[in-house]
Amino acid sequence: MSKKKVVHYINQFFAGIGGEEKADHEPEVREGVVGPGIGINAALGDDAEIVATVICGDTYFNEHMEDAEAAVLEMIEKYDPDLFIAGPAFNAGRYGVAAGAVTKAVGEKLGIPAVTAMYVENPGADMFKADAYIVNTGDSAATMGEAIPALTSLALKLLKGEEIGTPDEDNYMARGVRVNYFADDRGSKRAVDMLVKKLKGEEYETEYPMPAFDRVDPNPPVEDMTKAKIALVTSGGIVPKGNPDRIESSSASKYGKYDISGFDKLSEADHETAHGGHDPVYANEDPNRVLPVDVLRDLEKEGAIGELHQYFYSTVGNGTAVASAKKYAEEFAKELVEAGVDAVITTST
Amino acid sequence: MCTIVPISLTVGANRIVPTIAIPHPLGNPNLDPVEEKALRRKLVEKALEALSTDVDGQEVFEAV
Amino acid sequence: MDLENQQRVKDIAESTPAEDIIVVLGGAEAQAAKLMGDTVTTGDPTFAGPLAGVQLGLTAYHAVEPEFKEAVDADVYDDQVGMMEMVLDVDEIAATMKEVRGE
Repeated sequence: MSKKKVVHYINQFFAGIGGEEKADHEPEVREGVVGPGIGINAALGDDAEIVATVICGDTYFNEHMEDAEAAVLEMIEKYDPDLFIAGPAFNAGRYGVAAGAVTKAVGEKLGIPAVTAMYVENPGADMFKADAYIVNTGDSAATMGEAIPALTSLALKLLKGEEIGTPDEDNYMARGVRVNYFADDRGSKRAVDMLVKKLKGEEYETEYPMPAFDRVDPNPPVEDMTKAKIALVTSGGIVPKGNPDRIESSSASKYGKYDISGFDKLSEADHETAHGGHDPVYANEDPNRVLPVDVLRDLEKEGAIGELHQYFYSTVGNGTAVASAKKYAEEFAKELVEAGVDAVITTST
Repeated sequence: MCTIVPISLTVGANRIVPTIAIPHPLGNPNLDPVEEKALRRKLVEKALEALSTDVDGQEVFEAV
Repeated sequence: MDLENQQRVKDIAESTPAEDIIVVLGGAEAQAAKLMGDTVTTGDPTFAGPLAGVQLGLTAYHAVEPEFKEAVDADVYDDQVGMMEMVLDVDEIAATMKEVRGE
């Protein structure tokens, strides 16, 4: 019996095409394995083999989602594969979004078993875990050695039509699907057992974890913009030239508070970007492209806004943990409120 | 203000203004500087409009 | 191991027999040493660089391993590596490198 056919999707970096400067690489397909496909293919063993690898630049995919997805699907369909695998994307945000989107589309539009893998905090995870099987990985390619067996294990189960276990059993992200089963004990007994454990201070496992909604109600609108004090906050990593606080280009451990009172606009001479998640050239040439000080100063002079707050807050969003981002914002939000700021414009890259 | 709107929606932002591109959300290096600044102004004015608008949950304010 | 260094090692390995090459590593932790060591023996484990799937089978040592320490001038070693030797987990690194070499 011949081996089942697999098509693999990766980004420009893992294809060895290039880093950020090649993130605009348009979709292409190559026969056989490329990059991590080498490892995945070995792990698939005799059951299946990667017959083709589709490659697309992360920025290109995210900025042309419909067209890129359509082009990629067409390439995949030509091989009439039995299984589709994307990634692993680890914590690379644009890659995770692309991998998730393609995996979902392959499952829904081509009806082929499909699976991808990424780190739990990858934006692609929240976006697509309900629509695609996403295997859990560590936060960087350093964990590729563990990611490949985990990914191929679930992939083979899907390929063979085997029963997929719970998210814990098969190491994928919970999709919010509820499956009925017959428990040995009835609900009342299970509830009392759980309560007894809780009272004794013993460990217990909830049968229904409360979802983390993390939604906030929108604040009421600004009533008179001409009198409002507006502040700028960015995750695009704009910092004074030389990055004096050494904000990291990825997984930022801090944020900066910078004075723009002397500036009518930002420029290459006085500011730069610390962000390591995209080509920094455009932001370095003209930082106003990420932090629009020039335009807000004009609006301030014209009286369209009351005042541009003298400080802006900046960190680098690339790979920065959600918990960290929350912590920084909680801290400086207090300062913004104390400074009488009425509204904030946040920019991200 | 962000380029990948689905991400902003997923994380729960209430007022969202889509921007031009990941490496230059409020700019376009293909335009001449005057046009580029005009584009930036249009986007920022949309942001101010969004801040002055009552929204329910989440709303996307397209500028271009 | 970053992509440029992977390419350099690959280029050297193409023009020199493997038994005439020793790779000396300087990573600060055992995990980093393992990634780099694996890269020049069985191939880039992250599959991100020129040595993805390329098995050079080279011999690699870490600068804090006794084999390297004993092979070089003691004063120069003390000067260049002495400080790091005190703060790194030498035992863990040495054990990891033995794994890399398949000892």
